[in-house]
Amino acid sequence: MPEPLASERAIVGKLVGDNAESWDLAGELPVTMLRELGARKLLCTEAPASYGGLGSTSRQGGEFTAYVGSLCSSVRSVMTSHGMAAWTVQRLGDPAQRGSYLPRLTSGQLAAVAFSEPDAGSDLSTLRTEIRPDGDAVLVDGQKVWVTGARYADLLVVFGRYGDDAAAVVVPTSAPGVHTEPVPAPLGCRAAGHAQVRLDSVRVPASAVLGGGGQSLPLLVTTALAYGRISVAWGCVGILRACLSAAVRHARQRKQFGKPLAEHQLVARHLAELLAAEQVSTRVCEHASQCWDSGSPDVVVATVLAKHVSAGHAARGAAAAVQVLASAGAQDGHVVARAYRDAKLMEIIEGSNEICQIILAQHAMTISD
Amino acid sequence: MTLPQTPGKAPAGADDIRGAVLQFLREKTLATPATDQDLFASGVVSSMFAMEMVVFLEQSYQVTIIGGDLKIDNFRTVDAMTELVLRLRDASDS
Repeated sequence: MPEPLASERAIVGKLVGDNAESWDLAGELPVTMLRELGARKLLCTEAPASYGGLGSTSRQGGEFTAYVGSLCSSVRSVMTSHGMAAWTVQRLGDPAQRGSYLPRLTSGQLAAVAFSEPDAGSDLSTLRTEIRPDGDAVLVDGQKVWVTGARYADLLVVFGRYGDDAAAVVVPTSAPGVHTEPVPAPLGCRAAGHAQVRLDSVRVPASAVLGGGGQSLPLLVTTALAYGRISVAWGCVGILRACLSAAVRHARQRKQFGKPLAEHQLVARHLAELLAAEQVSTRVCEHASQCWDSGSPDVVVATVLAKHVSAGHAARGAAAAVQVLASAGAQDGHVVARAYRDAKLMEIIEGSNEICQIILAQHAMTISD
Repeated sequence: MTLPQTPGKAPAGADDIRGAVLQFLREKTLATPATDQDLFASGVVSSMFAMEMVVFLEQSYQVTIIGGDLKIDNFRTVDAMTELVLRLRDASDS
């Protein structure tokens, strides 16, 4: 089977080149590169063709995401946030909103999704950001933290309270009252443009409230996060592929005690476990994407499972890769050093390990007598 | 995320939809609620499960549940979900 989106891979491969290390060290991506990816529809390959996207399947988009993740988790992370914004518009927006925003997100404008707040992380039911009607406009007030990609974004999809219910509203970062402050030194995905965002009485037209608002907060968040989770899961597959490749290359070339590292059994075990991690994570992501593509209700739990399994394997696999490369990889910017820091963040975002475990445990309780 | 229904098959009526939703709930949650029972208040389902219901209804009845229809009230009872499917199907037929 030919690799899905092969020519798109070549494009992103050329745009990223061997820059991931220097971007990581600088803590910044060239925004022109991100805009080019966006204009080529590569930041949300699953957006429908009728709205200017490539209309890829979840499986195709997932393999593409893994490829980008193997090159640079900061670019992949921007892709996840942008893709989640596009998915949220597609799912929550009315036809006019889809027609207005999606073509912008497939032609070079950049978007990010704002959930977390200083006092609302895993428990988003305590969100304080407020969206309130004001004539034919709405006013948005609140404080968002760790908004991936916000440093580069033209548009933010902001989740907040809307009367007794909730809403997601599209806010241009150029609107008066939007203040963006980059997170100074993130542990991982250092160039992904994480930022704190303050919204001071930001006025946007009421038509920017997706689907008219008044939805249930848990349902809004669950909808948006589903895309983020499958994207992160495939991104972790990419991290594992990069780690496996670096570890194998090193174990083949580096000789100690008169033979290549790969012939030392304790090192070989790391290679075996990395291969197992990459394969298991690939299979669990393929299963979840298959559920997306076939419209199976199992998609909800399969996606959480894929995210949880892949993030855990990526974190442990990246640690093993650093162990194999030892001093050769123990330097900031190196592919395994990046993987080590980036993978740790994957155990935290889009539902921490513990939140995923709670969801999976609740599922276990409902399917067994 | 929808597949075409079997050609030539009459569209499901309200009773068929209610029956299918109840069966799905039984299979997935081991519960058999009354059709007007509040599934969230009674702890039968979570918001994660509401998402499963969205995908189930879309897949089974060739409807798309998006935008303002993603309200919890539309999934609160078996009757509410049945009405939602009928309304969306009517809208797509017209």
